[in-house]
Amino acid sequence: MNFVRVSTDAWGQQVLEGISWDLLPVAVALGAIVIIGHAIYRAIRKSR
Amino acid sequence: MTDAANTSNADRVLRHAGVDRAFHWLTAATVLTLLATGLLPVMGVKFSWVTIHWIAGVVLTAAVLFHLVRATFWQKLKCMWIGMRDLRDAIRHALPGKYSLAQKLMHHAMTLVILTAVATGLCMLAKVDTPWWKRNPYFFAADTWGIIYVLHGLAALTAVTLIMIHVYFALLPEKRLYLRAMWRGWITRAELAANHDPNRWQGQRDLRR
Repeated sequence: MNFVRVSTDAWGQQVLEGISWDLLPVAVALGAIVIIGHAIYRAIRKSR
Repeated sequence: MTDAANTSNADRVLRHAGVDRAFHWLTAATVLTLLATGLLPVMGVKFSWVTIHWIAGVVLTAAVLFHLVRATFWQKLKCMWIGMRDLRDAIRHALPGKYSLAQKLMHHAMTLVILTAVATGLCMLAKVDTPWWKRNPYFFAADTWGIIYVLHGLAALTAVTLIMIHVYFALLPEKRLYLRAMWRGWITRAELAANHDPNRWQGQRDLRR
């Protein structure tokens, strides 16, 4: 997985294009992990 | 929520003034518009997104500037500051002042993300034709544009994560009083006593009818 998008310009030099959009599912997954983690913690606390 | 709806104004205190609620929901609308217009094309949904995106960005910038001025001169910056007491309270599960540590952390994280997106987005306006200027893609060097795009994209992706977490906590049954406060402005005196340290925040008397 790449963290950034890079292209090659007319002179053969590498140019930074922006963040890699492969990271979009990672951002969603991070949010989901926090939500699911907290939901489990909340359920355990409630059951005690 | 239903019990709270049956309370009279005498049993309610103001948590968020109308102007702050308007700022919150305007920010929410513009950020969601910006994320949709910025990320849907990446996911393959093709439409003419640039004009909607930059206009929403300018509206968000104006809203952020307004909030910065209002928070600095008309509100107490201290109530949003994170101190050792916040950390101690969080560890001991003590009642917080107006905002809990988690709420302050969310605010600061969103502040960092939105300020990054706004600053880089304003730079990127140089690449867009607007009624006021023609696009100039050579305004910055290629390397600088690359850094600007990386920061803008990173802010967008971080915003996705933070908004998911923010919405989840706003919808939790025990936190819904804060969602109501952000919509209607008030919480009840009973909710104030149960969730906040009265020595640090008493709310404001809500006199609206």
